[in-house]
Amino acid sequence: MTLELLDVHKSYPMNIGRKHVLRGVNAVFRKGERVGVLGRNGTGKSTLVRILGGVEAPTRGSIRCTMSVSWPIGMAAGFQAALSGADNSRFIARIYGRPAQETVQFVESFAELGEYLNMPVQTYSSGMRSRLGLAISLAVDFDCFLVDEALAVGDTKFGRAFAARLQHAGLILVTHQPSLVRQLCNRAAVLDQGTLTFYEDIDEALATYNSL
Amino acid sequence: MSGTAPRPLLIDCARTQLRVIGALIIREMHTRFGRHRLGYLWLFFEPLLLGAMIAVIHQTRGGDGIRNNFEFFSIGYILFFMFRGIVNRSSGTIGSNRGLLYHRQVTLPDLFYARHLIESIACTGVMVIFVIASVAFGGEFPDSPVKMLVAMGLMLLLAQGLALMIGAATSEWDGLERLVHAASYLMLPFSGLFFMVDWLPEWMQDAVLWVPVVHVFELLRDGQFGDKFRPIYDLTYVLGWILVPHLIGLAGLRLARNRLGLE
Repeated sequence: MTLELLDVHKSYPMNIGRKHVLRGVNAVFRKGERVGVLGRNGTGKSTLVRILGGVEAPTRGSIRCTMSVSWPIGMAAGFQAALSGADNSRFIARIYGRPAQETVQFVESFAELGEYLNMPVQTYSSGMRSRLGLAISLAVDFDCFLVDEALAVGDTKFGRAFAARLQHAGLILVTHQPSLVRQLCNRAAVLDQGTLTFYEDIDEALATYNSL
Repeated sequence: MSGTAPRPLLIDCARTQLRVIGALIIREMHTRFGRHRLGYLWLFFEPLLLGAMIAVIHQTRGGDGIRNNFEFFSIGYILFFMFRGIVNRSSGTIGSNRGLLYHRQVTLPDLFYARHLIESIACTGVMVIFVIASVAFGGEFPDSPVKMLVAMGLMLLLAQGLALMIGAATSEWDGLERLVHAASYLMLPFSGLFFMVDWLPEWMQDAVLWVPVVHVFELLRDGQFGDKFRPIYDLTYVLGWILVPHLIGLAGLRLARNRLGLE
């Protein structure tokens, strides 16, 4: 069970010509691997995440996916801001064919949102939003969790519970925070100049990233 | 997703799509009317109130026979209300649902279908209420309720084709939205809501029959009043106006999806 990118290119139309964000990305993510993808601001992290999540098509190249991959979980992704966390949980449960009530119960016990669960998502702090997104995705249950950037888990009860769940599933974490990669991942890659380079040794990846 | 994964069966795709549309309908009801039961009533109350008002205004203006008929204007207005509701909302559909596109099984047409279903269910409900009310107050039972429902369905599809097209176009050119609202108001006198084609002079009949909506109104009146007058409509013409905009709209939405940046 893998998610593979084969020579993926992505460019966007700009005022003058096209902006090439990804220039031939090759990657294999296997089930159970916890991969950290490090990239500086503006190197195309979010673009890569959207392509991995299947919400945007590459301009060239192909994607092969034989495992279930979550939607890109991040700050704003996948929520209706005017609706409450519980309503959003129910909506996402429904579109993934999961029982709505159980999902809400799981989110209630896991996301540590308290009364905020019944408040509109637009009133949430960034940490609360990422906890909500992660909790819903854990309730739906995927082979691989795709997480974009603001993962404010840290060494909290939630963070430890999340890390425990990841022992049985895969993670692709795209971030600019080396500390998160060290905490959660067992493999790392660096995104630079539109290409992705994998390092089997995390320290080597972090060293490369820090020298950029 | 492409590649080595086994291609999902058509029936599974259909099931997923129905699931998504169902979830979108519930979500749409929550965002539009809040979580209060009374909010849902507004969905029915708005067309009910407007339809009744239009009908009362025309009744007090007088006229003979069918021209002074409550059902003629109230039920006719519901048909127009649905058409305008679907077309006017179409320009905002993508923008207000953008965040949901992070879930790959949510497609752009689904966002439209969910909204259109809500609109048409509400309007069909209100139509039934008007029919029952008019029978209760001494009116006649419709000649063919089936024809009325077909008219409702055709109007839904007619509006849907246009909505898909407008939705695709406005995601590229924002300014178009204002034109759409103006056009849908200006269309009112030419829609067939206030007249039967048979009442018009011959040169006007030819002109007005270019408007596809007019044919649907004639079908509705045929179902309502039977052979009390001579309805004039051509359903193949309407089908053309349904099919071509659907094709252009769906193609346009596919292009729009690729160009659409998620925040």
